[in-house]
Amino acid sequence: MPNLTIDGQKIEVPAGTTIIQAAEKLGIEIPRYCYHPALPVAGNCRICMVEVEKQPKLQIACYTPVAAGMVVKTTSPKVLEARKNVLEFLLVNHPLDCPVCDQAGECKLQDYYMEHGQYDSRLASVKVKKEKKAFSIGPTVMLDQERCILCTRCVRFTDTITKTSEFGVFDRGDHSQLDVYPGKELDNKYSGNVVDICPVGALTDKDFRFKCRVWYLDHTKSVCPGCSMGCNIDIDWDKSRPHTEKKERVMRLKPRHNPDVNNYWICDSGRYNYHFIDENRILSPQYLDKIVEWGEAMERVAETIQSTKAERIGVLASAQLTNEDLFVIRKLFKDTLKAHVDFRVPEKPGDSDDFLIKADKNPNTAGAASILGAQADAQTIVQKAKQGELDLLYVFGHDLVKLFGKETVAQIAKKTKLFVFQGSNINDTCGYAHLNLPSSVYAEKDGTFTNCQQRVQRIRPAFFPLGESKGDWEIVSFVAGQLGAPLSYKGPQDVFDDIVKTVAGFAGMSYEKIGDQGMILKK
Amino acid sequence: MFTTDLLRQLDKIAGQYEQKQAALLPVLHAIQEKEGLISPESEQDVSRYLGIPVVHVHEAVSFYHLFHQTKKGKCHFSVCQTTSCALLGGEDIIEHLKTRLGIKSGETTPDGKFSLSVVECLGACELAPMMQYNKEYRGFLNKKKIDELIDKNK
Repeated sequence: MPNLTIDGQKIEVPAGTTIIQAAEKLGIEIPRYCYHPALPVAGNCRICMVEVEKQPKLQIACYTPVAAGMVVKTTSPKVLEARKNVLEFLLVNHPLDCPVCDQAGECKLQDYYMEHGQYDSRLASVKVKKEKKAFSIGPTVMLDQERCILCTRCVRFTDTITKTSEFGVFDRGDHSQLDVYPGKELDNKYSGNVVDICPVGALTDKDFRFKCRVWYLDHTKSVCPGCSMGCNIDIDWDKSRPHTEKKERVMRLKPRHNPDVNNYWICDSGRYNYHFIDENRILSPQYLDKIVEWGEAMERVAETIQSTKAERIGVLASAQLTNEDLFVIRKLFKDTLKAHVDFRVPEKPGDSDDFLIKADKNPNTAGAASILGAQADAQTIVQKAKQGELDLLYVFGHDLVKLFGKETVAQIAKKTKLFVFQGSNINDTCGYAHLNLPSSVYAEKDGTFTNCQQRVQRIRPAFFPLGESKGDWEIVSFVAGQLGAPLSYKGPQDVFDDIVKTVAGFAGMSYEKIGDQGMILKK
Repeated sequence: MFTTDLLRQLDKIAGQYEQKQAALLPVLHAIQEKEGLISPESEQDVSRYLGIPVVHVHEAVSFYHLFHQTKKGKCHFSVCQTTSCALLGGEDIIEHLKTRLGIKSGETTPDGKFSLSVVECLGACELAPMMQYNKEYRGFLNKKKIDELIDKNK
């Protein structure tokens, strides 16, 4: 393993490591445009040049392997001068209209100019303008060729990650332009990622363009609830500046790096699946179309439970819920009341591929299985409710109308004493349920999901629950309190600590240990 | 689709390279030789034949000016506009061609007989002012020589 010195700091790295990677390990960030850790090295932008002692010319840090005894300087006067010159070249034909560019605030050209450029323009000639300004290149992405610095990250992404090869650099010299093949579109299941890796404002997201300035965004670490892969994401939400008059809180989702799960990527269906957070929500408890107080709603559930027997209570939990929600459901309904509880409803498998997209569209099937186990059966519970063998059917989030048909659900509403729907969004089942209880969405929850790799991962609340909605664990605890069998959890972390003590696979875990990268469930 | 003849020729070219993909430029030349241009259909065929994504075939075709994306005339004048030729009257030759043919650089006459391209140095300053006439170099140009070529091919 070669030893080398970077900016006076010594480090030992495996042979074959490049200077940019070695510097990263020391916490030294060398500027980069074309270099991206998940893509093949192109070495075309030249901004990462560093000085290597005993070598006459500057070297590009992204492509130069380390060697024993190497002495590297990343901020010597020669290096700084080179960076300035590279920037001057990159900006020769780049528009200087950051105030109207959607990328402003997260643009590497802007960042490095402020750090290393700041020269007076020496340009007398007119900039080369492209024929078209921003134009659509597919269902989700816009391209502005003038802003492109031809780093080819997107070309390498579609060549090596999606293997769909939509992008190319056509023509030559200062006529060179990035584009998709004439007549084709950028339309694959991962197209949104090219916007994330574009270091400048050339590729922008149709869904996000000009919706919000990026410096008004706050970022909350979370996990995509779109399928059982559990890709790590950042929820970017509007901190509600007074002059942004939007009712939507979530502005966009971005992939968050996790080398063991999704690396730097997420699929498009996960990326654009956030509108439900602010739309079509159940905002307050309703009993037979009348808005009621939480206390009254809980009283009705408790009364029904008290006036019936365990075998006449059915609960349909859901793999959309967190481990914490599910554990509280188990505590009350399974352990204490001994009711019928299951989460496995007959859902049709969704689309899938051999990369990130899984057919199981629930984020926590593995968690639900480990916490609830499998004793009762959802289909049987529904049949029982339909035949009048249940007094209480308590449904978490599932749209029974979609799963079992209108007839069945109408029968259930007629035959049960109390039909409870607890969920975040309005669906067809709400119209049949006697009692609708508003629960919070994943973006408002603290908790954990267990993905298809059995990896337990943290989600965090970005903001308060909308309206009067509450966390599912909180509502179930409320019911338990009304029954005189309180579950005295202070919060999801408290619930999790109890899971760790109770469910074997979670042994030894804690929120601190799970951290940002997750922990594998023990067998 | 390639004709059997062309395919046989391409197989011969591609066979000379360890990796098929490396034959991209000679394959494109062979096709242009036969068809006078590289059409979008040919790009697709080459992509399939060499196993290169079509977008990267198009990169090569658009990068090199010697590959034509539109059909050129039977007589293709590529006139040098770089220093030596310009000093010795190249600009007048270009103007004369424009007037006689009624087209601009990069265009082809409607009858498909003549094309004009203004190009950078062709490395034959000793012949200045010069041009490439189809595949041949023609030097020491003057208006008379140009007129003769045009009249002969009308």
